[in-house]
Amino acid sequence: MNVGTARPPVWSYWIVLPGLMMVWAMTAGYLGSPLLPGPMEVLDTLVRESSSGQLWMHLGATLSRVILAFSLAMLLGTAIGLVLGRSRTFNALFDPLLVLMLNLPALVTIILMYVWFGLVEAAAVMAVVVNKIPNVAVTLREGARSLDYRLEQMASVYRFSLWQRLRDVWMPQLFPYLMVATRGGLALIWKIVLVVELLGRSNGVGFQLHMAFQVFDVSAILAYSLAFIAVVQLIELAILQPLENRSSRWRQPESVHA
Amino acid sequence: MLELRIAGRDFGQPVLGEIFVGIERGDRICLMGPSGIGKTTLLNAIAGLDKSIPESAVLGREVLRVGYLFQEHRLLPWKSLMSNLRLVGASKREAEELLMQVGLAGYGAYLPDQLSLGMARRAALARCLAVKPDLLLLDEPFASLDPIMVAELKALVSGILDAQPDMAMICVTHDDKDVVSLANRLWYLNGKPASLQWTDTVGDPQRLEKLLRRLRHG
Repeated sequence: MNVGTARPPVWSYWIVLPGLMMVWAMTAGYLGSPLLPGPMEVLDTLVRESSSGQLWMHLGATLSRVILAFSLAMLLGTAIGLVLGRSRTFNALFDPLLVLMLNLPALVTIILMYVWFGLVEAAAVMAVVVNKIPNVAVTLREGARSLDYRLEQMASVYRFSLWQRLRDVWMPQLFPYLMVATRGGLALIWKIVLVVELLGRSNGVGFQLHMAFQVFDVSAILAYSLAFIAVVQLIELAILQPLENRSSRWRQPESVHA
Repeated sequence: MLELRIAGRDFGQPVLGEIFVGIERGDRICLMGPSGIGKTTLLNAIAGLDKSIPESAVLGREVLRVGYLFQEHRLLPWKSLMSNLRLVGASKREAEELLMQVGLAGYGAYLPDQLSLGMARRAALARCLAVKPDLLLLDEPFASLDPIMVAELKALVSGILDAQPDMAMICVTHDDKDVVSLANRLWYLNGKPASLQWTDTVGDPQRLEKLLRRLRHG
């Protein structure tokens, strides 16, 4: 078994996480400082924020930015990646730009977008999209390069239409790359969206963290962070994992007659 | 029906030399020659898969329907046999009939990798037929199968050829017996760059044997 990639058993979560919680509670109790509130206090904040509707409003704002930025970045990044992967000329032209963009700190893009376009929603979303596109493009470029030429030949002998090629020949082969881009994408976009909100928006989790920071309200910071982590995990369990299982089913079919 | 005017093809070093030859309706051609000489390269050129050979080098292909049995099955592994056949234009009923014809009735819902090598090859043959080809290209269709499967597949191919006298076929093989049983013409590819020699008299096994011996030893 490969130790590096194997998922840990479920019980480890039921031991490690409560253990962590106990250490946290004990430390907080010992220090008795408002700078490290205990778990119960954070839970209180969470309940209060959620019953006042504040939590949902800000989580919703962040979530909608994430979804919009993610969709745009995936769409544009995939298109760019496929073109670069299939055309040497385009790759020669745009690879240097891609390298530049990959190494550009997210913060720089955010600041520039706000400076150039003002503190508006479009600038916020564009900043996230521009940050994410290079990663998607690089991943999908690899995918486009790995397309099986034997199936390409088959598709041209049997005169597949462009749509058939896209849907039935390319998509299944690109799927693992799309999943990698999606996972990496979400993880990155969540974090960038928070920074974007902190710097120039008046709602969203990032904005709330900013407000809490101003008054050193650590309990609110932790409450919003935990709610945020819960949403990310929910998306992972409810959307990403089922999607991945579904489309890798053909990979290891039961060998009935082999 | 089809006229090849290939000026040559090289992959770093020359593989195919000048090849001028015609194919008529109903031609049954066996393509032979040493391993690695360029037989598959020639088939790919005929099928229009070789982008560095100009369109004009294969006159008449645009209007032809081509069925190509590659060395691997090249069915889409994520699609059932039925969907694979439907994708090239067969109706549901045609697809069922074709599967029956190649001895895979009832396997429509299977994925290609759930089948044995011989079955997958028959499924790929069914896909060739699904396009109602004017030209059938077979690249070593009988390689790496056990003798019983070879006999079955040969009987199947013979039956298909008999049923469609107008269809032309080019079959790459290493077995002299295939030439006698399937073909009425022999193409022999040899040399570096490879040139094509052909004969239309392959009916007599003894003459054929002599001819092949001469071709193989220069």
